[in-house]
Amino acid sequence: MSAATSAVRSFFDRVMLLDLFAGLGITFKHLFKKKETVQYPEERREPAHRFRGMFRLDEDRCIKCTLCARDCPIDIIYIDWHQELNPVTEKKEKVLDRFDIDVQRCMFCGLCEEACPTEPKSIWLTSKTYELASYDRWENLYVDIDELQDWKIRPAYTDREVR
Amino acid sequence: MAMLESLRDLVGPAVFDHAVSPLIKIAVLIFVGILPLISYLVLAERKILGFMQVRLGPNRVGPWGLLQPVADIAKLLVKQDIIPSTAIRWAFIVAPCLVVAPAFVIFSVIPFGPAASQTGGSLDYFVTDVNVALLFVVAMATVGVYGIILGGWASNSKFSLLGGLRAAAQMVSYEIPQGFSLVIPLLMAGTMSLQGIVQAQFEQQRWFIFQGWGLGLVAFFIYFVAGVAETNRNPFDLPEAESELVAGFHTEYTGMRFALFFLGEYANMIVISAVAVTLFLGGWHQPFPNAGWAGFLDLQWIPVLTPPLGLVGILWFSTKLAAFLFVYIWFRGTFPRYRFDQLMELGWKWLIPLVLLTIFGTGVWKILQ
Amino acid sequence: MAAPDTVGTRDSLFEVEEMELAFGPQHPSTHGVLRLDLKVDGERIVGCYPIIGYLHRGTEKLFELHPFFQNVPHTDRMDYVAAATNNLAYVGAVEKLTGLTVPPRAAYIRTILCELQRISSHLLWLATHAIDIGAMTPFFYTFREREEVLDLFEEYCGARLTLNCMRPGGLPFDLPVGWTDRCGAFVDKFPAKVDEYEGLLTHNRIWKKRTVGIGVMSKEQALQYGVTGPMLRASGVGFDLRKATPYEAYGEVDFDVPVFHGGDTYDRYLVRMEEMRQSTRIVRQCLDKLPDGPVMAKKPRVLKAAKDTEAYYAIEGPKGEIGFYIVGNGTPNPQRCRVRPPSFYNLQIVPELTQDRLLSDLVAIVGTTDIVLGEVDR
Repeated sequence: MSAATSAVRSFFDRVMLLDLFAGLGITFKHLFKKKETVQYPEERREPAHRFRGMFRLDEDRCIKCTLCARDCPIDIIYIDWHQELNPVTEKKEKVLDRFDIDVQRCMFCGLCEEACPTEPKSIWLTSKTYELASYDRWENLYVDIDELQDWKIRPAYTDREVR
Repeated sequence: MAMLESLRDLVGPAVFDHAVSPLIKIAVLIFVGILPLISYLVLAERKILGFMQVRLGPNRVGPWGLLQPVADIAKLLVKQDIIPSTAIRWAFIVAPCLVVAPAFVIFSVIPFGPAASQTGGSLDYFVTDVNVALLFVVAMATVGVYGIILGGWASNSKFSLLGGLRAAAQMVSYEIPQGFSLVIPLLMAGTMSLQGIVQAQFEQQRWFIFQGWGLGLVAFFIYFVAGVAETNRNPFDLPEAESELVAGFHTEYTGMRFALFFLGEYANMIVISAVAVTLFLGGWHQPFPNAGWAGFLDLQWIPVLTPPLGLVGILWFSTKLAAFLFVYIWFRGTFPRYRFDQLMELGWKWLIPLVLLTIFGTGVWKILQ
Repeated sequence: MAAPDTVGTRDSLFEVEEMELAFGPQHPSTHGVLRLDLKVDGERIVGCYPIIGYLHRGTEKLFELHPFFQNVPHTDRMDYVAAATNNLAYVGAVEKLTGLTVPPRAAYIRTILCELQRISSHLLWLATHAIDIGAMTPFFYTFREREEVLDLFEEYCGARLTLNCMRPGGLPFDLPVGWTDRCGAFVDKFPAKVDEYEGLLTHNRIWKKRTVGIGVMSKEQALQYGVTGPMLRASGVGFDLRKATPYEAYGEVDFDVPVFHGGDTYDRYLVRMEEMRQSTRIVRQCLDKLPDGPVMAKKPRVLKAAKDTEAYYAIEGPKGEIGFYIVGNGTPNPQRCRVRPPSFYNLQIVPELTQDRLLSDLVAIVGTTDIVLGEVDR
């Protein structure tokens, strides 16, 4: 572009406010574009497959090694167990007394799931559960073993398969 | 209409024309015209901004969110009304009223439709036709500034004070180019009556925006820019710049008092647009009123309900008004905000010399006519 | 009565009094909980004293209490809009300390994650910066694309912000099926979106008026204050750790480091816009070259650092040099961990840049430093 044409251009730019109209054009174009809004309570965004949502526990698979509790950075998993003679197999087995997770402090890092040595994992963060708001944190965000295994308070969300 | 005629017979034509008719018109204007217009303008703004920003805007209250204004008003009415303990009480209370009242008063001189003599009916489609209407508009618009300054000062909050000071400087500065830019259509029309200016555009067969070697366009541009600044709208929304001054002059206002400021701002938007439509865009006349091929625009061909001429005028007026208001909203969705000193620079260094030149040019044009 | 202090060039005809203005911690444009104690003369700022610490959580002390791998989630919460780069700086320091070598596939995926994080962090910066200056629409456009980046993160590691997506020695898991295609589709269309943001801002005269020549930081100033990242590169210093000390896969990809010389808010804006484009280039190349193999190095079950070892490892985060200095003491926990957060150093120059500027410029300058208070206060 020669100096003269660029001077003409910049003059038009100054006087005709071309820069401003360019911006106006972009917003006007968007007026007719498809909207990105997700109408939340009616439409729900499906979380990704690996989404770290709420906890679940499978007591049968759990070997009571407490690795999950030890690997938790903020120590919110409480496990107590005792040994008991299984009448069928006549072997001593560990039985859980308590498996509580204090979800109100949980930061959903997923380290407990990673620490679990069983295959498939006995504790895992189910996907598709992000609605964890509650009115009473001690009522609803302190989950015990029963609640970890089947959901009484929250609706049953789609589970993700266990890695 | 028949009812009005019988009322006219009942109270006598003199009383009717000078007392009853204006009162009815004011009531209708405020409660049927302005208040719903403002509340739905807010809705429209939120919707259009939403659409520009790839979202939906309010759509929960009523179909397409059409009842949102009702919900807003109900919310604002029942909200706790807080007057800060350190605020200057009387000024704090008076300030919002000072913003709203003048904005509403200006509506009384705006010709939304033709006069009775033009339609052959008994009703003027405006409250009153003052022969110095243009001066009246400018004067009333000035009063609104006091409310904002007072509100900012009376809140006794630092951010409010800064907002009030900004408002004072900004509105006073931009009143000058705005006032001057009104001189140009005035020169072109040779009258100060708004009704007269509309009529002049009809007679000269040209909207004033296209009149006089493009000088009308320049004047229109200046008027519009100054009008945006006068109403504290983006990109000149410095007095309430939320990212700088929290909420500027109305930081401390809550509930209905805040709503009054809000109402004032939107009423001012409508006023500025309405004056612009009247002065530059042919007012209530249909586009190309004298061209034969555009005759269908008078809407008299609608078979079922042949609308009375006055209503057609109002319709065209509203259409032009809506286009204007859309531009306001469009600006808000697009532009960043000026800085304070840059705003002053734009006003004093560019707009005022430009408008003076334009007035001079219009004078030359007028002489050569 | 003694003559009052006069400010600037005014004479003492009027008694001039400065107003003290607490700008934050609850203010729309302090980006969190920054507090600036301002002394203003009208709108002119004559004194600016940043007060930080409202978000102090003792993260560095917290590091000492946990084994190395448990600290990764804490790093997410420092610069909470750029978790991946924080993760990488931390695990990089641990790897340097313990002598772990990362498998090539993990290095490439880390590079991809960091560059996506840079895009998302810059998008958030652009959104807030634009809204500070009064343009509200770019906010929504940038968040539209940021959502897509966050979706990619969610698909990879299950979280959108606090990713916790790296471990000392590699990555917790491999990429899910189809992730590379979706990521590729995103980076291919993204440059057009950057053009769209630029269309709204770059040539806009109001945007230029608000940013050109505002908060000019000279090269010397920038170096004196230890400013890094886009702030530094806008002042004419082409220092980028990705080029200076190539880590992960950065040595194997081709990209440019944008450098501008004006040192003002506008140039910082241009640097970041160009960086987003370059990031898509890097991601594209990484995706094409992505090697196969494991994503986790062979490592002892309990990772311990030898006694009296120390390591400093820094990477180029979206905001500048983010570094971790870790001292080992023979246990699985660090003896001491110190973070070099870029925001903290970049924030220090704000008082100098805002001196004698107007309140509106302060907002623009605070926005352009791109601070995250979680990182400043730690």
